Amino acid sequence: MFLFKLMSFLLGYVTILVTGDAPEKFINMAASRGISLWDVARSGEGGIRLKVRLSAVKPLRHMARRTRCRFRICRREGLPFYFARLRRRKALALGAVFCVGVLYLLTSFVWFIEIRGNEQLSSAEMLEAAAEAGLTRGVPKWQVETGAVEAKIMERLPLVAWTGVYLKGTRVVIEVAERTLPVEEDQQPAHIVAGKAGLIKEVLIVSGHPVVKEGDTVVPGQVLISGVIPAVEEPEPGEEPEPGQKSGEVRPAAYVHARGIVRARVWYEGYGEVPIIEEGRRPTGSTKTRTSIKFEGKEIILSGSQNIPFEHYEADTLVKSLPSWRNLIIPVELITIKYHELSDYKIERSPEEARRLAEERALQEALASLSPNTRVEKQWVEEVQTGRAENLVRVKAIIEAVEDIGADKQFKP
Amino acid sequence: MAWRDVKRKVKRQISEILEIPGDVALDLPKIILFGNIQLYIENHRGILEYSPEGVRVSVGEGEVMVEGENLILRNILPDELCVEGRIFSLRFD
Repeated sequence: MFLFKLMSFLLGYVTILVTGDAPEKFINMAASRGISLWDVARSGEGGIRLKVRLSAVKPLRHMARRTRCRFRICRREGLPFYFARLRRRKALALGAVFCVGVLYLLTSFVWFIEIRGNEQLSSAEMLEAAAEAGLTRGVPKWQVETGAVEAKIMERLPLVAWTGVYLKGTRVVIEVAERTLPVEEDQQPAHIVAGKAGLIKEVLIVSGHPVVKEGDTVVPGQVLISGVIPAVEEPEPGEEPEPGQKSGEVRPAAYVHARGIVRARVWYEGYGEVPIIEEGRRPTGSTKTRTSIKFEGKEIILSGSQNIPFEHYEADTLVKSLPSWRNLIIPVELITIKYHELSDYKIERSPEEARRLAEERALQEALASLSPNTRVEKQWVEEVQTGRAENLVRVKAIIEAVEDIGADKQFKP
Repeated sequence: MAWRDVKRKVKRQISEILEIPGDVALDLPKIILFGNIQLYIENHRGILEYSPEGVRVSVGEGEVMVEGENLILRNILPDELCVEGRIFSLRFD
């Protein structure tokens, strides 16, 4: 049926109004001669309106005469008629052709250049390299040779390991993969100092001169591994040369970038308290929203009730006002207030339960201050006694951790 | 007349024996009714009368009367017919 309608549209069809004594006869004759009719409906007094294909109109004239009917064409539809109408409106047809032509012309240029995958290289550098190979914004697409652009980028920018240039409509995508170059080591003379207070557990030196040893207590900022390697003086006569050092070797003081790992025991503290009988208010989860418009001091409620439906509540107010332009301020504000209902609660805990909860909180606090890559050696909790009976259980948690406390600090020799 | 009756009788018997559908062998109309909104008549012999309240269609022997309101003939082909609208009744005369 759809195919039939489509064919009718392509070939053109007309709506005709048949009048006469017996339009049924006319319809029968047409149908029996293989002319398909559709949408047959009574129209007004005595007339029948129906649709036929354009090619069937001529034989219908003959049949109308035979059955003593008359017909009149009311509407013409379909492609042939549209074309005829277009022929009369040359400017419109020309405009349509022109539009398609311009669209085609415009799509044959490069309008956008997109660069993907560059992290160290700047996009400007990439674009410059591409421009040298003839790829800039606005060049015709047929002049862009992707292979040549790829080769040019590889040649110009040694940091690029691979590049791919694709045309996607009016967009050119340049994808690059960069080489990772080895990170240059910092050669500035530097000490390693303590970042935290602690008890030194082990010292491992890659370069530099040790200042502290195992078992030392250090404070933040104290030098752990010095970047100054002291000069070796000429051994004084009679003094034994130090072990591990060839006798007779003399060299001046050297400055290096100290490297090494200094692990120390560090203590972290956390504190938690939990009341045995806890009272307070907390949200029940039920909320009500009120939206209103404020205009020159007057508030008009759009939705939500006028009085607040909760006994205890917390309100979140959101005011939206129109952006001001120059010195024009529009005095209209949209105010949305969200009321959260609160209710009283009372929790009674046993002392053991309160203590357990306080311990948990204290430990959590202590763990939160721990830096990553830290090994927890030991942890313990102790109750803080204030000496008098009270509603609170106070607990202190202590975590002993072993971590690298060294931090670089440059110095001027 | 008698000869025609004999012919029809033989035809029906043959179609019953061979289980051939009636619309093929006996030239009967095949009528498909979709609820009360659409009606297909295959194998018709022409429209006798058409108005929005009733359509009379000639079939092999006799006629089919379709009554309803706002009836239109959606499609007319040499041997197929489609009536649309609100159909109240279908009668064989």
